[in-house]
Amino acid sequence: MTTSNLSTSPDIAAPGTVAGLRSDGADGAADEVLRVDDLHVSVHHGAAMAIRGISLRVRAGEIVGLVGESGSGKTLTCRTALGVLPPGCAIERGTVAFAGQDVTARSRRDWERLHGSHIGAVFQDPASYLTPSITVGSQLAEVLRVKLGLGRRAAHRRALELFGAVGLHQPERVYHQIPAELSGGMLQRAMIAIAISCDPQLLVADEATTALDVTIQAEVIELLLQLRDQRGLAVLFVSHDLAVVTELCDRVVVFYAGEVVESGPAEEIVTRPRHPYTQALLQVASVGDFRRRELRVIAGQPPRVGADIAGCRFAARCPAAISACRAGAVQPVLVGDQHQVRCVRAADAVNVAELAAR
Amino acid sequence: MSRSSIPGELSVAKEGGAAGGQRSLIGPRSVLRLRSARIAVAVLVVIGILTAFGATLAPQNPLTVNANALFQGPGPHHLLGTDYLGRDVLSRLMAGTRLSVLTALEAVGIGLVLGTGPGIATVFLGRWFDFAANRVTDALMTLPWIFFAVAVTAALGNGLVQAMVPVGILLAPFFFRVTRAATLEHARAQYVEAAALLGATKLHIVRVHVLRKVLPTIAVTTASMAAAALLAVSFLTFLGIGVQPPAPTWGGVLSSDLGYLAQAPWAPFIPGALIAITVGALNALADAFRDRSGAGTLVLASPIIRTHSTLEPADDDEQSQYVA
Amino acid sequence: MTVAGLIRVASTGTAGAAVPRPRRSRIAAARLGGGLAVLVPIVILSSFITYSLGALSNSDPAATILGQDAATPAAVRRLNHALGLDHPLVVQYWHWLTRAVRGNLGHSYFTQIPVSQSISQRLPVDLSIALLAVVLAVLIGGSAGVAAAIRRGGWLDRGVTAVCSAASTLPAFVVGIILVVLFAMTAHLLPANGYVGPSTSIGQWLEHIILPSLALSLQVSADIARQLRTSLVEVLEQDYIVGATVRGLPYRRILVRHALRNAAGPALTILGNDFPIMLSGAVAAEAVFSLPGLGQLLLESAQTRDIPVVQGLLLVISSFVIVVNLIVNTTLNWLYRTSDGIGT
Repeated sequence: MTTSNLSTSPDIAAPGTVAGLRSDGADGAADEVLRVDDLHVSVHHGAAMAIRGISLRVRAGEIVGLVGESGSGKTLTCRTALGVLPPGCAIERGTVAFAGQDVTARSRRDWERLHGSHIGAVFQDPASYLTPSITVGSQLAEVLRVKLGLGRRAAHRRALELFGAVGLHQPERVYHQIPAELSGGMLQRAMIAIAISCDPQLLVADEATTALDVTIQAEVIELLLQLRDQRGLAVLFVSHDLAVVTELCDRVVVFYAGEVVESGPAEEIVTRPRHPYTQALLQVASVGDFRRRELRVIAGQPPRVGADIAGCRFAARCPAAISACRAGAVQPVLVGDQHQVRCVRAADAVNVAELAAR
Repeated sequence: MSRSSIPGELSVAKEGGAAGGQRSLIGPRSVLRLRSARIAVAVLVVIGILTAFGATLAPQNPLTVNANALFQGPGPHHLLGTDYLGRDVLSRLMAGTRLSVLTALEAVGIGLVLGTGPGIATVFLGRWFDFAANRVTDALMTLPWIFFAVAVTAALGNGLVQAMVPVGILLAPFFFRVTRAATLEHARAQYVEAAALLGATKLHIVRVHVLRKVLPTIAVTTASMAAAALLAVSFLTFLGIGVQPPAPTWGGVLSSDLGYLAQAPWAPFIPGALIAITVGALNALADAFRDRSGAGTLVLASPIIRTHSTLEPADDDEQSQYVA
Repeated sequence: MTVAGLIRVASTGTAGAAVPRPRRSRIAAARLGGGLAVLVPIVILSSFITYSLGALSNSDPAATILGQDAATPAAVRRLNHALGLDHPLVVQYWHWLTRAVRGNLGHSYFTQIPVSQSISQRLPVDLSIALLAVVLAVLIGGSAGVAAAIRRGGWLDRGVTAVCSAASTLPAFVVGIILVVLFAMTAHLLPANGYVGPSTSIGQWLEHIILPSLALSLQVSADIARQLRTSLVEVLEQDYIVGATVRGLPYRRILVRHALRNAAGPALTILGNDFPIMLSGAVAAEAVFSLPGLGQLLLESAQTRDIPVVQGLLLVISSFVIVVNLIVNTTLNWLYRTSDGIGT
């Protein structure tokens, strides 16, 4: 963890530039595994707009972290990227593209082809996401037989291999156990094994380590990094735990109230966060330069899901808010190499800690 | 499926009805607010009148044979037509109401008495009693009722009154289970605990606290079981049990109609409709009771013939008697 | 690998190896054994009830058998002793039960034909319609329930639910009559009565049992459909269905192998519970369709007060129900092979 002081490093682009550049300066969309553009998603059958104008991309071999509070829209974004929106939710605007193909309005059958073979998923509570009455080995073998066409014996062997590869001891034993008989850590590994079994390009991990012990968490993180290195696996890693995200991710996207408020390389975000919310988050998580002894909270509550707010959605709680913040919709601004901030005061190099000290 | 067992929660409103809070004894006025209940009660009142005075109110003598007017369809002289002996169908059905209804009520009464008492008592009388009562219930529920009923006529003679006794006995397990469940729900409330701690006897608790809360459930079950009993009577008389020809019964009329389908294919639908309407009215009444009182209900396989099953997701731990 | 200082809620995961639990097969066996242990008193109790019905009768079988003239008190007493009727009830019951288990159900008072023979002659009829009815109930009820659950809220769902509510109130004898009127009388499609064994002609056998079986199965189908719809809708909302979906499994496979497996239990329980009612309905079907089955035997022997036949019939029927319940429970156990007990 670097402990450099927050410094006002020169912006790469001129201050105040509206970053209409959606590509973050990256070379072409060829290796973009996932691309979300201006996504708007409504919930409760159109009653509230939970996600407003989210854009992000994940490149091959890249681990992108989504952070934010509950209700900020990160899980919903994941579900959209996976094509499994909960009932009552709908994509109102925007596009989702997987490996260059538009998947925004695809049928169940199309998604079936993508699932498993190209996109895998692990979730927070693996026990709920695996069928309770079937052994984990059978569930893995099932995927192998259905998606890869392996025969029964071959699938069994491959399943054992996969269990071993994810670090499960005694794969043969684990194979014949049902989810209820395995601990959280083992189940999560089994779930990862299932998710990567058909060698997908993208792994969506929704709070995959949240419910695990610290030591197990470390091992799972290690595993994900290995997969990235060995297979070029791209990961969309959702977490509310900034510390884990900084360990694991190459890039970080910060969510607040259904919008992306900041995104950029992980190192950048942690050492030079520009958005007041990001800074506050880091303060609360006591990560990076904002480490504190006392427990910090961000005063106030996030807006209700789907609430219509004029101007910046964080303005109500922001210590650095000015009148311009409530004037109108705030556009993202490029403030560094691939580092974007959705803040009126982006150029001002706001420091929440210093503001508090005053 | 779980039923709320939080102490202090007085009942679980599964659908409709007043939510939470004190549940007063459902009054006739509140039930009648439902239109379906009003229609149902009207139908049942008519049936009741027919039960009492059917034979005298009938337009013609139900026994009069008229060889010149066989198999006539509904017409001005015979409102519902005539049967294979030229007898007026309407009069036969009206006269037959009494036997069908009274014996059905007899069965329900037996079931009610045999079932609700033990159902309430079992909650207070300890584990062994409960175990034994449940096993007896299970045993009774494995018997197909018609076999049991006919077997009793073999022993006690071919009378409808005798035949309905086993029907009543086989209705008892359902009263038992429903009452037991309802009592369990209410007996665990904190105020009952408090009363017990203050020295109230179990009898007192039952009389003062539990009975009032359990009555709506009993009312619902009684209506449903009455429907089942009525179908049972119709079936028994259809089979010829307890019928002293030429005395008319609903099932008996249906049975003879079946024998002459070639000549009068419309005929079975008349007594059939009568049975269906009465059963439907009873079921509607049961539903109305349930809606108004919010009484929690169990889905049970009805003992005799499936009548209107309560629509909730099954409380399977109550149903599956053999599942551990 | 270091993990930086964190402020986070303590996790709920457990570290280390899997929690040791008893082998699943042993648990299943224990549960089955427990189920059987409960069944034995039930069998004894119900057979005792059925047996003692005979004792309630105040008819004098010895006198009936001997006939008016020969029924001198001495002769009656001798015959009673020969028939074992002068022992206390419980002893009689015990003799009867032990003999019954070996297949000896006694003889008819009047025809002297062994009861077991009369029963086994007519058993195939009831077996045919009962088993076909179960198959129909599962097929019809199952597909209706699944169809309604998949298209939840749509017109199919509402239609199926409405039809089920109506059909649930129609007992076998009502349905049977309707069917006879519709199919046999008006349309002359299927025979209205009689029975033809499968050994004679499979085609005709099916023709004769299809309507009665349909009559028996309709009510149970409706119940199964309703229950299955409810359970399936609930299961389909579970997270593990999402899990199976994101693994790329085909929808049909998820439906059958993951969803139905967990949703079928309550519906199966209903089948087990409704089975005695189906058997009662079989008596109705026999009456309506003039089938020479056990129901007719029952009515005849009740008429003549032929007690041994009645007792034997009741025992056979009760056993039938218990066997079916055992099968249902075994299937339920097989469906829910979790070590935490029955349930999703």
